[in-house]
Amino acid sequence: MSLEARVVEKRKPQLRRAVKPWGSFAWGYSDVGADIFVGLGLVLGAAAGASNIAFLFAGLVYVCIGLAYTELAATYPVAGGGQYFVLRGLGDIFGFIAGWAVLLDFTIDITLFAWSCVDYLSQLVPQLLTVPHPVTHFVVVLLLICGLCLLNVIGIRESTAFNGIVSGLDVVSETAILFFGFFFAFNPQLLIHTMQTSWPTTFQLMNGVSLAIISFVGLESISQAAQETQRPASIIPRTSISLILTILIFALSYSNLALGMQPWSGHGAPPAPMMHGHNVPLWAYLGNGENNGKAVAVLASYVPFYGALAALYVPLLGSILLLISSNSGVFGSSRIAYAMSTTQLLPSFFQRVHGRFRTPAASIIAFTLVAIVELIFAALPSLNTHAAMIYRKFFHGEDGITFLGDLYAFGAATSYSFVFIALIALRLYDPLSPRKFKIPFNIPMQIRGERVEFPIVGVIGFIGIGSILVFTMITHEIGRFAGPAWLICGLIGYLIYRYRKGLPIWRSQRHNWRVAQVDILRASGELELMDEYTNNLRESERRREEARQR
Amino acid sequence: MTGQIHVTVAGMIIALFIAGAIGATLWWMVHPAPSYVQKLAQRAEHELERLVGSLIVVFSPEIDSSHMMALAAKLARGEKSHLLALYVIEVPFTLPPNAAMPHEERIAMDALAAAETIANKYGVNLRTEMIHARQTSQAVLDIARQEKAHLIMLGSFREGKYTGAPLSHTIETISAYAKCDVLIGVEGKHGTLLVDEQALQVAER
Repeated sequence: MSLEARVVEKRKPQLRRAVKPWGSFAWGYSDVGADIFVGLGLVLGAAAGASNIAFLFAGLVYVCIGLAYTELAATYPVAGGGQYFVLRGLGDIFGFIAGWAVLLDFTIDITLFAWSCVDYLSQLVPQLLTVPHPVTHFVVVLLLICGLCLLNVIGIRESTAFNGIVSGLDVVSETAILFFGFFFAFNPQLLIHTMQTSWPTTFQLMNGVSLAIISFVGLESISQAAQETQRPASIIPRTSISLILTILIFALSYSNLALGMQPWSGHGAPPAPMMHGHNVPLWAYLGNGENNGKAVAVLASYVPFYGALAALYVPLLGSILLLISSNSGVFGSSRIAYAMSTTQLLPSFFQRVHGRFRTPAASIIAFTLVAIVELIFAALPSLNTHAAMIYRKFFHGEDGITFLGDLYAFGAATSYSFVFIALIALRLYDPLSPRKFKIPFNIPMQIRGERVEFPIVGVIGFIGIGSILVFTMITHEIGRFAGPAWLICGLIGYLIYRYRKGLPIWRSQRHNWRVAQVDILRASGELELMDEYTNNLRESERRREEARQR
Repeated sequence: MTGQIHVTVAGMIIALFIAGAIGATLWWMVHPAPSYVQKLAQRAEHELERLVGSLIVVFSPEIDSSHMMALAAKLARGEKSHLLALYVIEVPFTLPPNAAMPHEERIAMDALAAAETIANKYGVNLRTEMIHARQTSQAVLDIARQEKAHLIMLGSFREGKYTGAPLSHTIETISAYAKCDVLIGVEGKHGTLLVDEQALQVAER
């Protein structure tokens, strides 16, 4: 290679490492933080007096998921997230399944959050309400999705700074709502009374738990931005743990507040919660079909003193955060598809870059179309009475947002299950990669002469997320069919593609992960970890050589 | 069902816990421990602060420091340093120390006025001083000691002709005996100032 060629090769453009701790947190928060805006109403509607228990169960599983992602993202700081970890730990075919499940989640993300964004706006603009104006609601959601697709094709994306500002405002706002709510309107007796008198059936509780997990989906975003984060191995554990704690505190606090809050009826308060002309408990009001898409905004309006102010801005702030989250679905899906295409898990079509805008336009448009199909499927019962009858007959009459929630929970539970297995596999087969953050509670053992640590939390998390996957399959009529159908269709496509390309169908391609790991650590600026890894490799070789000589 | 304010001890404790826990978590997050390379960078930054606390930019008929003056002004603006532009007029031993040298003084005034213009442009305070001395190097060293300077900045050597050495004896003496750091700015294509550009272009052709 000539000197010039080498110089040119060295100057290949790389993602600039400009994301700092707050930026990394904001990427995750703008995705996960929006989930509670959608999840609260759905869980209250499903799990009633046990909503806090549903959130607690899902929250504990989420802590395990968060710890697994934190360890993996700090060890392998590349843009690929869960799909990359599974590819590396379990091989091509499982990498594909996990990636395909993440893609389902991202497409649902686009529709679900655009839908919920319009729901929150309807708090300020009643013409956007689903119940009396389903066509307007549908058209606005459709326009939002198309608009986001267009913006992503021409390469306009919200910046890290914008994410950071919105996330900061939202953290402050939610903390203020909860602070005022607990300080001035929380009644522990009411909470106990609600839990005793409105305890759901086991089926409803399982349904609630399976929906509660959607309040915790999106940690993926921090891993996705790993390649742009400064010192990812050090920063990502901090931002991930902070995100886990923040979201957990918010989810548990909101659910307990909704069950034990006495709505404010003083000056500036909205009318008392009523349904069909009767007073109803706040949690029931928040969980009904009219309010479940905008539960946080409705709850905030009933908070003493602060509620009057919150009623003005929370719908707007919530809708902005939800729109950012919807947008993260558009670029996340195209990014994952691009990454999967480069590792030959998907056809090269998904790598096509627009000649003028230099964006993966083919991926963006393809997955936006999937999101639009999901939107039509979700909106159909409210748009057409015949469709509503069919849904009532076969799917227990689930409303649009619940249908989207079903699929979201299915996709998340599937991909997270694989991530837990990948975590265990990588602990066993790649013990030499330095782990700046390691999940606690491990069993030390020896495998092929190497000291490895078996993660107990990985097993607990797998059982937890596995049970949520089972709950989803049991309780969601549509999710039971649509989720597995998505996976089976994808898998058939994958097998055909690999067969036609002459690639190993069931087995994996050869990867030199050791070289890849050195490159990853060097590219991420984690030079101390790179030295540690090469030392570990050298030590391992020496031990093997000694063993051979003996 | 509806009611007025309902303050309970449990509610107050939970409210305070939420605010405290969120605040503490985020504070912890944005204060990570520095890495080895970050510590190196921090040390270098501290060095810079020490280096540019008090700056002296040296001018003389032999030393052209106008480009260093611009650099000093930029540094002084960023680091809020004390900045002194010093013009040294060397008085030959054949003349008494207080001999009038109007021509040299006029040139010095221009140089210091230009330095002030640069300083004003960057919004930094500049003291100017013009002194007569037998030896430029010794005068600069004395002033640097008096001023407790952290950094002496010098431009290129300027003489009637290029001697082949980029630094004069004056600059070498200052850099050898100064108790503080010395930054010497030799302009690119060293000696360009001293070379007839047109002749060079002809030769290149």
